[in-house]
Amino acid sequence: MISVKRVGLVARRDFLVTVSSKGFLFGVLMMPLILVVLITLVPKLLASAGAQMDVQVALIDGSGTLADALHAELDPAALAAARGAQTRASTEQLGAAGQQVAGAAAAALPAMPRFQLQVLPPDATEAGEKSWLTDEHLGKYQRRALVEVPAAAVERHGDVPFATYQLYAPRNLPQDAESTLHGAVRRALIAARLRATGVDPAIVRSATEIAPTQTTLVSAGGANHGGGQVLNRLLPFIMGFLMFMGVMMGGQALMMSTVEEKSSRVVEVLLAAVAPLEMMWGKLLGQLGVTMVSMGVYVALGVLALLQFAMFGLIDPLLILYLFLFFLMSYLVYGALMLTVGAAVNQIADAQSLNGPIIILLVLPYILSPIIGGQPDAPFAVIASFVPPVNAFAMMARLASSSPPPVWQVLLSLAASLVAACAAVWFAAKVFRIGLLMHGKPPGFGTLVRWARMS
Amino acid sequence: MDAALALRGVDKSFGAQRAVAGLDLVVPQGETCGLIGPSGAGKSTTIRILMSILFPDAGAVEVLNQRSALEAKDRIGYLPEERGVYRKMRVGAFLDYLAGLKGVPPQQSQARARDLLSRLGLQDVEKKKCEDLSKGMLQRVQFVGCIVHQPELLILDEPFSGLDPVSVRLLKDVIAAERRRGTTILFSTHVMAQAEELCDRIVMIHKGRKVLDEPMAKLRRQYDTSRVLFEPLAPQSGDAEALRGTAGVARVSGNDSEYALHLEPGADPVNVMREAAGRVAPARVEVARLRLEDMFVGIVKGDAGESEEALRQHLQGLTAGEGR
Repeated sequence: MISVKRVGLVARRDFLVTVSSKGFLFGVLMMPLILVVLITLVPKLLASAGAQMDVQVALIDGSGTLADALHAELDPAALAAARGAQTRASTEQLGAAGQQVAGAAAAALPAMPRFQLQVLPPDATEAGEKSWLTDEHLGKYQRRALVEVPAAAVERHGDVPFATYQLYAPRNLPQDAESTLHGAVRRALIAARLRATGVDPAIVRSATEIAPTQTTLVSAGGANHGGGQVLNRLLPFIMGFLMFMGVMMGGQALMMSTVEEKSSRVVEVLLAAVAPLEMMWGKLLGQLGVTMVSMGVYVALGVLALLQFAMFGLIDPLLILYLFLFFLMSYLVYGALMLTVGAAVNQIADAQSLNGPIIILLVLPYILSPIIGGQPDAPFAVIASFVPPVNAFAMMARLASSSPPPVWQVLLSLAASLVAACAAVWFAAKVFRIGLLMHGKPPGFGTLVRWARMS
Repeated sequence: MDAALALRGVDKSFGAQRAVAGLDLVVPQGETCGLIGPSGAGKSTTIRILMSILFPDAGAVEVLNQRSALEAKDRIGYLPEERGVYRKMRVGAFLDYLAGLKGVPPQQSQARARDLLSRLGLQDVEKKKCEDLSKGMLQRVQFVGCIVHQPELLILDEPFSGLDPVSVRLLKDVIAAERRRGTTILFSTHVMAQAEELCDRIVMIHKGRKVLDEPMAKLRRQYDTSRVLFEPLAPQSGDAEALRGTAGVARVSGNDSEYALHLEPGADPVNVMREAAGRVAPARVEVARLRLEDMFVGIVKGDAGESEEALRQHLQGLTAGEGR
């Protein structure tokens, strides 16, 4: 007969020891802080750290028609407009938060380089300009580049495809200057090609430019939310990460604390006071409390972030409930297995061989989460939703996707998880009792199964 | 008198090795019983079976009128052979935790722990972390942990091993106090002198089998008639020579303070004592008590083909520290 009081005492001790440890405080409190700093401050610091570059661009224009267009494209205003359009396009799908994100992204970009264009004679060559390009006496913020555009890159003869251009640059040309220059040359080339065929580039540009907009998601209840697909794509990954992090953290802590109790020989003192099953449940529940606190903190921060960007409405609150339910099942499965490993070995180093397959079983569904979330109705995703121990991750990914599964599938998956959790805890209880007092050569999986049958 | 604990026909094997074989053991309530035997004899396994940490392959266990120690854990104090503590925990918190697991409310456990720590010479360690204490201090802390709930049954596996003489004395005093309180005590030891001093009964096991189970009083009355112990009243340099000349004495060993006269086969110890006392004035002369080692060898000699020399070698640890 299990004493609830003793289970509670073991759980309380494990919980308090862990939550008062520096490692936990760092993990739970400092990690979110570090993430916020990384996301907000570091890009700004990086951007402000880079001074504006002066890039001298030499152009060998075989067509004789590109210089004006490229000059116009390298104008600071034109470059700023191009950068703005690009940022808007990449953040368009973030919905209501898009503008704020676009603003933050623009602020995080490094200072726009200043380009000065000089046109070389058409018979100039890259070989002849090599010493100019690689001049070592340039200032700290001065760079050079050479663009060579053959005539065939602008004028087309018959069915022969357009030729392309070449950009020559020394190794120290910054990446943003390089990509900005590529973009300007491409846009100038398109304009020159259009002009060559008698089309006004301004008309094409205005015809192809569409103001950014947001996807409006329509729910069955009729409520419309401004939002987008990026969140839908991210959610399965986020859910997978939260489950992985919680299970991994709890499972590892269970294993480590059991190994420590065993190697410090305190376990026999404890077994004189509590039954092995009470001790096992106490440890499982204690660490469950710890991981629930961590998960709670992370989920609360996530909700706050969503509220901040007015995106909370995009998430079904039931998703959080499902997250905790599936996490609980996964924790019991993986936690019980890791506890078994901890009870079976004498030191952490011995645990590697036994723990390896469990970690693979944990990492695999985590990696698959975004893929399953991307194709939630694919046969593989549906089957994976019912096969423990990966089913909890698969089902959470589907629940967080744009096409959540029907309720009966969720309940069936939960039932499968429950069966797996009971089996894992049963196995752990059998091995725990024997493994705790075993010393010497670390056992293999075969030995663990034999212990379970012996017990 | 009711039995505090009883093992009946208990068997326990680990793979091919039989650790405990058909063991019967009954310890009445209030008795102090010494479980002795060389290393590997099965003492710790027996104790772990009693504590329901291990389960027997066959046989029955009864502890404090329960079918298993699991049902009476709160009434049992157990000090395992392998000492262990939570190294990062403070002593006071560690003792509170153990007492809590045994059902003692925190307000009571703190006062009791403080009192016991004080009696064991550990007045100032309550706030210290376990890792800051010496091995001997930790052992005493653990002992406090096993009696802080005032158990009816105390099971101590090698309680004195590794302790300095002062700590041994303090521990013996506390054990004696527990005994006076009426606690049934079972403890395993290698040292006969400690068993003699503390036990009402001795149970000796060898290769998992019980080879001796006698009251201490009876064992004290068993004599080795091949040896006479002689303590001179006024030791002189010629005493050994004079004693060696006694009729029936084969050889003399020992020093000025005490000699052992080894008798020839068939010699009468009474006659030897009388003649020796005539040659050298005695402060004390007596027939030697039977040594545990001799008793043990006498019981198990020839068992499983072991030679007497091998048995004595096996018992090297058992006789270490023995008084004589």
